[in-house]
Amino acid sequence: MNKIVIAEPSTMLRIGLERLLEELPDAEVVFSTDNLSSLYARINALRPDILIINPLLFDYAKRATLRAEFDQLPNLRVVGLVTAYLESQHQRQFAGVIELNDDIQRIKSTLNQVARSVQSDDDESDTAPLSDREKDVLVCLSKGLKNNEIADQLNISVHTVITHRKNIVRKTGIKSVAALTVYAILNNLIEEKDII
Amino acid sequence: MNTTSNTPPHLSPKMKMADAINQYHSLLTVLPRLGIPLGFGEKSIGQLCAEHHVSEALFMLISRVYCQDDYFPTATELQQCRMSDILQYLTCSHKDYLENKLPHIEHHLNALLEPMDKKYSTLITNFYAEFRKEMEKHFRYEEEVLFPYLRQILSEQEAAASATYQKSTFHQQHDDIEDTLNDLSNLLLKYIPAEISPVERVDMLLDMYALSNDIAKHSMMEDRILLPYIQLLESKRHE
Repeated sequence: MNKIVIAEPSTMLRIGLERLLEELPDAEVVFSTDNLSSLYARINALRPDILIINPLLFDYAKRATLRAEFDQLPNLRVVGLVTAYLESQHQRQFAGVIELNDDIQRIKSTLNQVARSVQSDDDESDTAPLSDREKDVLVCLSKGLKNNEIADQLNISVHTVITHRKNIVRKTGIKSVAALTVYAILNNLIEEKDII
Repeated sequence: MNTTSNTPPHLSPKMKMADAINQYHSLLTVLPRLGIPLGFGEKSIGQLCAEHHVSEALFMLISRVYCQDDYFPTATELQQCRMSDILQYLTCSHKDYLENKLPHIEHHLNALLEPMDKKYSTLITNFYAEFRKEMEKHFRYEEEVLFPYLRQILSEQEAAASATYQKSTFHQQHDDIEDTLNDLSNLLLKYIPAEISPVERVDMLLDMYALSNDIAKHSMMEDRILLPYIQLLESKRHE
């Protein structure tokens, strides 16, 4: 679950974004505000994973170094909520950018990307080979099983299956089931004839 | 707002084309699609655009997309370009991918997998064939559904034009194409045994990274230029 804080001066936008984020199962808005002073007052205690902030909250001169305002929270990922033209050097400091016309799918993929970058920083097992359990999940995936079927077969929860899947993708850098299947066969985890 | 801040250092119509290409190599793939041949000597971007009847605004727009990862055009920059020019460029890019880039990669892929056990190499060539089919399908959809729809709005045939595309699907397809290419390069980079075509594999991967980068720029053109343009036109229609 990603804890999210929103800082956006427009009430309409702020509430609209909160509503949209409710649709995302792994995101939780823990605080939202329209001004900087209350943001500064709360953010250290809340320790959110992601801050979604409109750069217009800052004076023009401060906008370029906005990220530095939150240096005391090194694991915080700052996402820009861009509602007006923003110069590229200002945009670059954000871990991701949400734009006014983004739909929920777009926002979801932006936040997922940002969240992934949080995880891989924390986790040093990035260079480890796939664990035996991850290999089991991979074999099931290659056979075309769905998450709940894999959970049944391996006697684990669906949640655990999803965690294993995330780790497989993170370690191999391969996202699609089709390519993961090729990986499984290349590594002799599975025979071609086992694939439906 | 200062619009020149949007231009990467020195890139302007007055710049020598050769200097632009030397600084931003990826622009090289753009020239043939616009019908600008190489061998242009000392001519500037502006001169070459005029000579080959290419809109200077379009060239600058494409260059910014290529040279600046986080580029979003301003409304003014968009309105300086004709939609028909943008569509023509995108169509030429599709043709370039299908007729040149993808067959080139396929050819090399087949050659480098040659020493490998057929049992394994077929898996990868099949995966590539699927990828190619997906690309063809996506391009066909754009050329047969999306672009004609746009041309209809442009020619203001109000009655016939209806929104048949979905913005989110469109983004998703672009992401999928990039992901698949990325999956394939990881398979080649990490999981094919070391002794299989080591020299060719490096060349192949360089080609694939270049293609991946080019396709990312192509998606950016469509996501950040085409779609906002459609929205602009649609909102005008509804006024």
